[in-house]
Amino acid sequence: MSYVIIAGISFPIVEKPEAWYHFPLIPGLGENAKIIFFHVPTAWITVLAFLMSTIFSIKYLRKKDLDDDGKSQTALELGMVFCILATVTGAVWAKFTWGEYWSWDPRQTSIFALLLIYGALFALRSAVENEEKRATLSAVYSIIAFVTVPFFVFIMPRIMKGLHPGSADDTNAGPVVNFKMNSNMYLVFVLSVVAFTILYFWMWRVGSRSLNIKEKLLKNYR
Amino acid sequence: MEGLYLFLEKNSIYIVMIIVLIVWAGVFLYNLKLDKRLKFIEKEMKEGKK
Repeated sequence: MSYVIIAGISFPIVEKPEAWYHFPLIPGLGENAKIIFFHVPTAWITVLAFLMSTIFSIKYLRKKDLDDDGKSQTALELGMVFCILATVTGAVWAKFTWGEYWSWDPRQTSIFALLLIYGALFALRSAVENEEKRATLSAVYSIIAFVTVPFFVFIMPRIMKGLHPGSADDTNAGPVVNFKMNSNMYLVFVLSVVAFTILYFWMWRVGSRSLNIKEKLLKNYR
Repeated sequence: MEGLYLFLEKNSIYIVMIIVLIVWAGVFLYNLKLDKRLKFIEKEMKEGKK
């Protein structure tokens, strides 16, 4: 907000006001480069949410408090939502940059595997009736599943050849890797990541509290 | 469909708009789910009081 106010006041008086909204565009990407402000934060939130789910799973296993299970479950749901969003926005971007929605690029394959791994957790949760048993099983599964996350998100797409920026054959010649955001673009990018993180924490708080109240109500009235 | 594709290829800022709308649709769907959950809680609490 303060940035907007400062920009609004100084816009007419600075020497070159156009510099405020000048973004360097990646060759071959054009305006599409701006998708980075939305596609990357969703992927970041996916990792953050799965990490939080693991932390609360460990907490549940130590203290056996069902509230921690609710928090872990909500983080899982949000992680899944943002994982799907990262996949879909990535696919749309791919259509206009790589020519196909889906081309089994290492990055796409790894996020697909991630979706399957965490999708199985929801199947597991819905299959167990007993609350404590369900919470323990899903906590253990969530911890084990998170072991694969750094591998699928950070390692595998980087050591294999592919189309996504940061792949193994994307040597220093690639326009995307060599590309440097200028300060304007970097500011918008950081603001976007921070805003998405705040949005995620807000959604997670509302989600986990309502889930825990619902579970308690179900326990009391039945 | 072909025309739309060509239009988007030329005016790629609209692709950015589509991406933003997809992200908001995801957030909206999650909020819809929360709304349903809260409705359920309200109903249960009313029934519990009776």
